[in-house]
Amino acid sequence: MTKRIDRRAVMRAVIVFVLAVAAFSALSTLGSTAAAADATDVATSVVAADAVNSDTVTADAAVDEEDAGGTTGLGTNRIAQNVFNGIVFGLLLALASVGLSLIYGTTGLSNFAHGEQVSLGAMLAYFFATQEPVSIPLVPVEFTIGWPLWLASIAAIAVAGATGWLQDRFMWAKLRKRGVKTVQQMIVSIGFSLALLNFLQWWIGPDRLRVSTAIEERKQIGPIQLGDTTTMSIGIAVVALLAVGYFLLRTRLGRATRAVSDNPALAAASGIKVDGIIRLVWVMATSLAALGGILLALYDSGTKFDTGAKLLLLMFAAVTLGGLGQPFGALVGSLVIGVVVETSTLWLGPDLKYATALAILILVLLVRPQGILGRAERVG
Amino acid sequence: MDILVSILREAIAPTTAAFALAAIGLNFHFGMTGLLNMGQAGFMLLGMYGYAITAREGGPIWLGVLVAIALAVVFAVVLGWPTLKLRGDYLAIVTIAAAEMIRYVGRSQNLNSLTGASTGIRGNEFKGSFEMLSPFPDRMVEFGPIALHGSQSTSWWLALVGWSLVGLMVLLFWRLSRSPWGRVLKGVREDEDAVRSLGKNVYSYKMQALVIGGAIGALAGIVWALGASVQPDSMGRPTTFWIWTLLLLGGAATVFGPVLGSILFWCALVFVKGVASAVIPDTVLNTQQLEPFSLTLVGVTLMCLVIFRPQGILGDKKELAFHD
Repeated sequence: MTKRIDRRAVMRAVIVFVLAVAAFSALSTLGSTAAAADATDVATSVVAADAVNSDTVTADAAVDEEDAGGTTGLGTNRIAQNVFNGIVFGLLLALASVGLSLIYGTTGLSNFAHGEQVSLGAMLAYFFATQEPVSIPLVPVEFTIGWPLWLASIAAIAVAGATGWLQDRFMWAKLRKRGVKTVQQMIVSIGFSLALLNFLQWWIGPDRLRVSTAIEERKQIGPIQLGDTTTMSIGIAVVALLAVGYFLLRTRLGRATRAVSDNPALAAASGIKVDGIIRLVWVMATSLAALGGILLALYDSGTKFDTGAKLLLLMFAAVTLGGLGQPFGALVGSLVIGVVVETSTLWLGPDLKYATALAILILVLLVRPQGILGRAERVG
Repeated sequence: MDILVSILREAIAPTTAAFALAAIGLNFHFGMTGLLNMGQAGFMLLGMYGYAITAREGGPIWLGVLVAIALAVVFAVVLGWPTLKLRGDYLAIVTIAAAEMIRYVGRSQNLNSLTGASTGIRGNEFKGSFEMLSPFPDRMVEFGPIALHGSQSTSWWLALVGWSLVGLMVLLFWRLSRSPWGRVLKGVREDEDAVRSLGKNVYSYKMQALVIGGAIGALAGIVWALGASVQPDSMGRPTTFWIWTLLLLGGAATVFGPVLGSILFWCALVFVKGVASAVIPDTVLNTQQLEPFSLTLVGVTLMCLVIFRPQGILGDKKELAFHD
C-alpha cells in the first residue's frame, strides 16, 4: 500500500497517451483539411456516410437518437442531461460488471463470455415477451409465447441463471478440477463467447429488436428529462445492487464468498465449501448480467444479439478501474465509465464514445493496474 | 462434387493465405514467446489502412508496404512499451482494447476523408497498381477444376503473391526459431526469471517478438485487403479469435501449424456450410442461419481444442505456451 506508483510506469503511460492524442488530432486535422478542399462534396458524403452508419450500427444509432432527442427535445442543460444519462448507463453497466468482478475474484478467470450473458438476458426476455412467432433452433415449429414483460423478465433471469449453473457444473468446475491454467480457461471463455454470440444470431436473427413496444413519455425534472421506464430501471438496478451489497456484507454466505475471493485455500481450510460458493457466484453473476441486459434493452429501447459483446470491454474497463475482483470497485468503476462515455459525446463524435472508455482502461492498466480500490500486488 | 471443388478453391484462396500469415505473426507472439496478443486484427487493420491509403494517394507499392509495416511497428512499440511487464491476462485485455480502439477511430466520422469511416475504402481505389503487375491474363483462368480471375481481386496473381509470402514467413519462422535468438524467446516463454538470471534483457526480447509478429500481421492485412476491400468492421474481435482458433488448431509453436490450421479452418467452414445446406432441410436451417451456425461450431471447436488438445494437430505437448 505504501509503495508509491512507479514513476517510470506513469511516465510511459503519459507519453503513450500524449502520442495517441497527438496522432489522433493530427489525423483529424488531416482529414478535415482534405475535406475542406472540396467543401461541396463533404456535405453529401457525410450525409451518405451517416446513412450507411445508421444502417450498419443500429445499436449505436439508437443511442444517438437518444442523444438527439436530448438536444432537440428541450433538454435545458446538455451537460446535466449527459451526466445523468451516464449515471443511469453506469448503474445498468454495474449490474453486469459486478458479476464479472465476482467471478474474477473467486476463480481468477477473466470471463470473456460475460458480454454474451448480457445479450442472452435481453434475447430471452424478447423471446418470452414478444407477440411475434418465435422458434427454437433446429426445431421447425413456430409458436407465440407473448407473456407480459415482468413475467418474461423473471423467466429470462431464471433461465440465464440456470445457464450459469450449468456452465459451472459441466464446464468450469471440471476445468478447475483438472487444474487447467487460468490463461487457458480464459481462451476457453473466448471460444464460448464466440459460440454463444453466433448462437444468439442464429436463434433470434441479426435484426434490432424491441423488448417492449410501449412508447415512453418523457418528463422534465429540473434540468433533466427522464421517462417512466428509465425511472423504473433505475429503481430496479439500485435495489438489485443494494441486495448484492447486503448479501456480501451481512449474510453468512456473502462473508464466505468474500473469504473465497480473498484466499480460496484458507477458506477451504476453515470449512467453507469453495465449489458451492463458486457455483452460487456463477448463478448470481449470470442472473445479474441478464437483468442488466433486459434493463439496458428497455433503456436503449432496443437490443441486438451483439449488444453485450460491445459492452464487454466497457465492463472490463469498469472492473479494472475499480480493482479486479472487488465487487464494490466494479460499481464505482461502472459509474465512472458510464459518466465518461456519455459526457465524451459533448466533445467527440458519438461513434467514438466507447473508444474513450477503452482509453481509460488502457491508462488505468498502465498507471495503477490494481485499480482504485484494489490492493497493490505484483502483476507482472 | 461441387463441395470438393469449392473446398479446393478455398484451400488456395488468398484469404486463407492472409489468415495463415496473421497466424504466423501470432505464432511469433504466442507460440514462441508466450505473449497473449488478443489484438492481431488491429495489426491487420493498420496494415490495410497503411497500404490502401498510400496506394490511393498514388504512392508506389513498395512505399505502401513500407508504410503498412511501419504503422504496425509503431503500434507494437507503443503498445508493448508499457504493457510487456504486466501479467499475461493484462496484456490480453490491453491488446484487445487497443485493437478495438484502432477500429473505432478508423470508422469514426472525423476521419471520413482519410479512412472512409465505417464504409471503409473501396477496392478499386487502391488495387490498381498491384493488379497492373499481374503476369496473368486479364480474364477468368481455369486451372484444373478451379476457375479464378487472372489478376483482379481474388485472383491467381494474389494467390501466388500471398502464398509466396506465406512460404517466406514460414522459412523465416523456421530459421529464427532455431537460432540462438529463438532459443532465448522460447526460454522467455518457459521461464522468464530463469532467462533474466542468465543476463538476458527479457523485456527487449519480448518487444522484438511483438514487433516482428505485428509486422507480419500487417502484411496479412495487405493480402486480405487486396482480395476484398478495407472494411474496419471486418477486423473486429471475432477475426482475432478466428486467428487464435486456427493457430491452436494447427499447433502453436510449430513451423507449419499456422498454415495447416488456416487451410483446415477455411476448408472445414466451407465443408460444414456445404454439407449443412445439402443435408439439413431449409425449414430447419435456412441460408441466413447457415453462417452463424457454422461460426457457432468454430467457437465450440476453440473450446474443445483448448481443453482437450491444447497442442493442436502438429504440436508437442512439452512445447505448450500456456503459463500464468
